[in-house]
Amino acid sequence: MTQSDDSMTDEQPVLTDGGGDAHAVHENTDYLDHEVNIFKPSTPFMKDNLRMIFVLFAAWIIGVFGPVIASYFAEGFMTETTVLGGYPLNFFLTAIVSPLIALVLAAVYAWYRDRLDTKYGISHETEVEDDSEATVSADGGEVVSDESEPAETTTGDDK
Amino acid sequence: MAAELLMEASVVLANDYTNALEEGFKVIPALTVVLMLAVFLGVGWFFRVAAVDELWVAGRSIGPIENGMAIGANWMSAASYLGVAALVGTLGYFGLAYVVGWTTGYFILLIFMAAQFRRFGKYTAPDFVGDRFYSEKARAIAAFTTLVIAVVYAIGQGSGMGLMAEYILGVSYEVGVVVFMLVTIGYVALSGMLGTTKNMAIQYVILIVAFTGGLYAVGWTQGYSTVFPYLEFGAETAELSEIAAEAERQFIEPFAQGSLYAWVALAVSLILGTCGLPHVLVRFYTVDNERTARWSTVWGLLFICILYWGTAAYAVFGGLLYEDPASGADTGVTTGEVGSFMDMPGADADALVVLAAQLADLPEWLVGLVAAGAVAAALATTAGLFISASSAASHDIYTTLYNPDATQRQQVLVGRTTIVAVGLLVMLIALNPPALIGELVAMSFAIAASVFFPVFFLGLWWENATSEGAIAGMLTGIGISFVAILNDVLPMYVDIGGEGAVSPELAAILPGTSSALIGVPVVFLVIIAVSRVTQDPPEDVKRMVRQCHSPEPMSQQQTAEDVAATDGGQPADD
Repeated sequence: MTQSDDSMTDEQPVLTDGGGDAHAVHENTDYLDHEVNIFKPSTPFMKDNLRMIFVLFAAWIIGVFGPVIASYFAEGFMTETTVLGGYPLNFFLTAIVSPLIALVLAAVYAWYRDRLDTKYGISHETEVEDDSEATVSADGGEVVSDESEPAETTTGDDK
Repeated sequence: MAAELLMEASVVLANDYTNALEEGFKVIPALTVVLMLAVFLGVGWFFRVAAVDELWVAGRSIGPIENGMAIGANWMSAASYLGVAALVGTLGYFGLAYVVGWTTGYFILLIFMAAQFRRFGKYTAPDFVGDRFYSEKARAIAAFTTLVIAVVYAIGQGSGMGLMAEYILGVSYEVGVVVFMLVTIGYVALSGMLGTTKNMAIQYVILIVAFTGGLYAVGWTQGYSTVFPYLEFGAETAELSEIAAEAERQFIEPFAQGSLYAWVALAVSLILGTCGLPHVLVRFYTVDNERTARWSTVWGLLFICILYWGTAAYAVFGGLLYEDPASGADTGVTTGEVGSFMDMPGADADALVVLAAQLADLPEWLVGLVAAGAVAAALATTAGLFISASSAASHDIYTTLYNPDATQRQQVLVGRTTIVAVGLLVMLIALNPPALIGELVAMSFAIAASVFFPVFFLGLWWENATSEGAIAGMLTGIGISFVAILNDVLPMYVDIGGEGAVSPELAAILPGTSSALIGVPVVFLVIIAVSRVTQDPPEDVKRMVRQCHSPEPMSQQQTAEDVAATDGGQPADD
């Protein structure tokens, strides 16, 4: 919270979860004047976003290619170990767990981006919803669950 | 080695042979299909459109769940519904590369591209390439590639529809292909995308009910599984692995049907292809804003996973039943034609999902429902592909390059003509398909990955990528992916003496289905190298790229170009 002056000049503000500073940073950033290069994030927002992207990307690589590479280096262990009543470990991890990991990571990213939007004071609501403004600044997570929960119940039948 | 096995399977499919599907016309399954198509056409008619803007993006009025379902239906083609189980069943662990490749790619699409594409706000993949790389030549190359991808992808769907028609209608494979392709063509040309998107949510529901319904019924009646088959087929997997081992085949051994390289190359090709497929990207233009784009990707992946988790279970159940049919029917194994389920002929493999239901002695209406679901899967995807092809031809090639003053009527006419032409071409090739369904579709992914993924990715994430770089890159990608595919399939059409690939050495390094592991890095290097030595993109293009990454909300109909053209970069509030 004390860094706001410096942070505006070198554009690497230390942001707290409260979001007050981030809102100001966002207000004062002209995103059209900052270069886009995936390895040189030029705005605080993109820095936050890319940090999460790379962390999740690394987790994804392990989740997706981990099982097959483990099967290469420890074939005996991966094929002879069985889980859940008989699945060879390599089969189970690849067929069931890898897609699940991708799904979970995807949800984590979408949720994180919503939090990031809240932190920087960004709202995608186009319809007028007076109450939502208050909840957004109070608790970032609320916006996500508000919209996705009723949705879950409607699609529950399909599964 | 994998390539050789795949080629063998392809050759079997190409020859005339009978499969284990029951013969004869079946009234209730046929009525199920007719009813489904009537519902589709009815909904299509209800949402009928004439305006060209609505034809492509449904007025951007679709929420995350509905769009997620559309993504799911669009994705779950005959390749997912029928092809993946076939590949897992006959190739064992190697086939799981298809499961991983066709699900996990959506995560990459989400973190790197979905929202940015939505913000860019252009209708089609060629539009994106043309505007981002400020070049009509680049747009034309992209439009051409879109057409090729649509054709290759749709051939697999035609093949799946033909197989299902054999079971449902009791007609020959060839007649089945023709009948169902004509239905698809008529349907797409009439309804346009608003209709098809509405249909796609409906199609997803029908499809997933049919697919998982069949899976639950097979598992329940055979005592394989109870309430959650996805986690209950472990013992069956182990049993199947032993049966395979007795016939000296390897179901579980990871690298018996292909090396680690072949596995990774295939998975990477399918993953990056996911991020480069025009008809997938078009789904992100149909939502309100980028937040909806993100969440519909998550929902879409969930809907896709529900099906893909089932494919491995189907492959295992189907394999066991193929060895020892509960219905007492003849299969390749019981007649002694092949040594084990892993050697089953291509048409049996591609019909394995339906075969599993049939061999489990399920009632005809239920088997018919599973088969009808496969038709719905093929039809929904083909519809999306034809829309992509039609907009590439009418919007990007005809209007932009040939006749800038084209009226809406002319554009729609060109679009519809393209659908008919592409449909007929696909039908002709599908009459004698050059590979298994899953492999054919994988080839279109390899093209999408090598040609589109690098320009999409660098276009969005590196503002200094230039038009010269993009053109050189796309041409390189076309070269690599086409050579790889032709190397694999050419011997089917041209007699070069001997079976298998033209050059088996090349096919081992660069299989037609998996050329992207080499192709994509090469294309990246080409784009970066050429961009470095050519003049930087104009400032307005750079601003457009920046606008794609700005967190600032945009109004529904705005594109990155509109915003970048204003001075402040802060769009007016609504």
